Amino acid sequence: MAVDITLLFKASVKTVKTRNKAIGIGFDSTKDEIFKRSRTKSGFSQRAKEVITNITKLKDFLLQHRKDYISAGSLISSDLTRMTDGERDQIDQDAQIFMRTCSEAIKQLRSEVEKQAAPAQIKEHRGAVLDLVETYLRGVCKVYSEQRAIRVKRMVDKKRLLPSAEKSSSEVQGSSVSLWEEGRVEDELSPEEIQMVRSTASNLILSESIQTTKTGLLLVVESWFSGVLMSKYCFKGKSINGFDQLILMLFF
Amino acid sequence: MAASVREKQTVALRRMLNFNTPPLKNTAAEPVWKVLIYDRFGQDIISPLLSVKELRDMGITLHLLLHSDRDPIPDVPAIYFLMPTEENIDRICQDLRNQLYESYYLNFISAISRSKLEDIASAALAANVVSQVTKVFDQYLNFITLEDDMFILCHQNKELISYHAINRADLQDTDMEAIMDSIVDSLFCFFVTLGAVPIIRCPRGNAAEMVAVKLDKKLRENLRDARNSLFTGDSMSAGQFSFQRPLFVLADRNMDMATPLHHSWTYQALIHDVLDFHLNRVVMEEGASSEPSPGGARPKKKSKKSYDLTAADKFWQKHKGSPFPEVAESVQEELDSYRAQEDEVKRLKSIMGLEGEDEGAISMLSDNTAKLTSAVSSLPELLEKKRLIDLHTNVATAVLDHIKSRKLDVYFEYEEKLLSKSTLDKSLLDIITDPDAGTPEDKMRLFLIYYITAQQAPSESDLEQYRKALLDAGCDLSPLNYIKQWKAFTKMANPANYGNSGVKPMGLFSRVMNTGSQFVMEGVKNLVLKQHNLPVTRILDNLMEMKSHPETDDYRYFDPKMLRGSESSVPRNKNPFQEAIVFVVGGGNYIEYQNLVDYTKSKPGRKIVYGCSELFSAAQFMKQLSQLGQK
Repeated sequence: MAVDITLLFKASVKTVKTRNKAIGIGFDSTKDEIFKRSRTKSGFSQRAKEVITNITKLKDFLLQHRKDYISAGSLISSDLTRMTDGERDQIDQDAQIFMRTCSEAIKQLRSEVEKQAAPAQIKEHRGAVLDLVETYLRGVCKVYSEQRAIRVKRMVDKKRLLPSAEKSSSEVQGSSVSLWEEGRVEDELSPEEIQMVRSTASNLILSESIQTTKTGLLLVVESWFSGVLMSKYCFKGKSINGFDQLILMLFF
Repeated sequence: MAASVREKQTVALRRMLNFNTPPLKNTAAEPVWKVLIYDRFGQDIISPLLSVKELRDMGITLHLLLHSDRDPIPDVPAIYFLMPTEENIDRICQDLRNQLYESYYLNFISAISRSKLEDIASAALAANVVSQVTKVFDQYLNFITLEDDMFILCHQNKELISYHAINRADLQDTDMEAIMDSIVDSLFCFFVTLGAVPIIRCPRGNAAEMVAVKLDKKLRENLRDARNSLFTGDSMSAGQFSFQRPLFVLADRNMDMATPLHHSWTYQALIHDVLDFHLNRVVMEEGASSEPSPGGARPKKKSKKSYDLTAADKFWQKHKGSPFPEVAESVQEELDSYRAQEDEVKRLKSIMGLEGEDEGAISMLSDNTAKLTSAVSSLPELLEKKRLIDLHTNVATAVLDHIKSRKLDVYFEYEEKLLSKSTLDKSLLDIITDPDAGTPEDKMRLFLIYYITAQQAPSESDLEQYRKALLDAGCDLSPLNYIKQWKAFTKMANPANYGNSGVKPMGLFSRVMNTGSQFVMEGVKNLVLKQHNLPVTRILDNLMEMKSHPETDDYRYFDPKMLRGSESSVPRNKNPFQEAIVFVVGGGNYIEYQNLVDYTKSKPGRKIVYGCSELFSAAQFMKQLSQLGQK
């Protein structure tokens, strides 16, 4: 059990002050301190903190609207809180722009750190700070891509309201059935659906490739599988094509 | 002790690294960064408990040694974790004067004195940075936890409190006081962290008794100090359901000198014996083969590889106490099962390459999708498994090399027979004179065990014979001088009884292993241990079960919570203890630890923790004996 002796320390400071006064030693006033402090405050940490604030804003924004975004609502209800697809599109778009901006900002800071002449320790420290910010961003992106995956899946399902749909759902969606309230996966898709799937997939792949290829793929795959299956697997160095195939294959 | 001491120490460290506030469960919180500054003591405490990755995850961007060149990073808070020594305090003051960081969180491993605190205060005042010293804490973490049930006092500077330091002939009273104070400080921190005040038992007339007396005094004083007591109700964690206090048994190394020299047969003990293993880290040379380089050419520089053997390594947790043949078998099994899984994943991966239009492919898919996704989802686990298999293959291979080249199975078996006073099937002299069996050190170890356990000292002529043989084999005989002294001095009424152990040899390894087997165990004896209690275990058993035994009846009894200085030998408590901590003053090893672990398994519901002032391998212990014998 740790013991907080901060007060004891402050008391020691007083003791020393008193003792010094008695001996006649004085110390400079505190104005030097304030002056020094403002000079040494670097721009780097301000900016890093700014990026974090922005990411938090995005996170709050997504979480705030998450319920409405995900909720299916029934087709016949005239629920006022029901979100339109247009609104959802807007959220998606805004989120993507935001994520891209944040990612750019991090990249920018990184290259600056590289270029700047500074002691090795400071560079290492700043690199690690940016790693932390990036991890935070990734976490928030996951929130976005999870809810987007739900939405896309629902969009595709809506296209196929075939009554004879009674094949058992593939295990791919098995564990996420509870999240997605309606429909089960069919084994067959009409040509238009295939086309739509393909274009949605490629759109996602293109639009969602925010960071490096590696993490871009991660986001794409996550948005299809709600982070259940692939989120842990980092496909290092794989080409996009293999994944395009994988996604389409599994969707069949 | 609902949570182990390892968990408690880890929790304490995490809190410290979170600016001395309990960390939030919410992992999606904004990152806060900081740098960690430690001395070598702090490093040794942290490294078995938190990996570099875990430090990073907690927001630590840099971790640096206190006494190193450090650049100013004026916009980051710094967390310090170090011992309150003179040099450390000076360096802190220097950092303050140089205004290295934005703010300072000072954490002292053991309590800092008032005067040193004033030194820091003074430097802070002079540099005008008092407001930047945000928090100062006494952490009471001055011990190193290696396992859930094992701890040591220190790793750096352990020679200051080593067996040699305590037992040397020229030891002054002041030296002894300092050593005892150091040991007691660590033990005090241990009980503070554990959140329990133990009942203390110790033998009479040795260092263990000195430690007991001082520890009792320190605990007693702290309990009486109502304002500053560290053992208030708050410190007892909520999960603690045991109303009984733990038993704390102090033992002195001198009561069992054979176990530290013994050759081992279980995985963890072997690693510690034959490889370079400290603080749960093994350091080995890559591609270790002991062939000398051809004709005078400069030997190729072998790279060193280090492996951390952690709590998360399931194979390690399962097998660290297993006899080596079992380990070899299990690694082989893991390798085989991994290869089978790998093939399956490869097969499924190749299916991915098929075009979606193919009818056959589609139908195959609906069955295989499930398999693929489950295989893929377990891929990271598979990769981790592979890493651990590689690790243990390398480590076990290195251990096996030693076993084979030094014939450690022969030594182990013979020593077990010596310890259990079973009949010996070959003569000691044969082993000593055999040039293929073991290093000179191995032979010396064997001989010393013989000498220690002999009921009657060998005759002069026999001794001469042994001496000559040992010298011929290249042994250093100075440890023997000390052991002779020790034997004469100790002259215990009951010489250490090692119980009815026994090794059941199951013949040589005739087991047919696949040609693909990593481990060629031919010629190595497949020995199986029978459970027996080493002296420390036996003593613990007596005291925990409240058994009467001449060995322990005379032990002293301390209860720091009792109002009057209790000095009775009569224990108040009639019921057996459920929890105990055994601590060996003068050093210990993994064999002793493993023996206690095995004993605990046979007593369900009991919790036993093993501690020692230092952990030494047989080689290190021999070195100390050698120094002691050179007077």
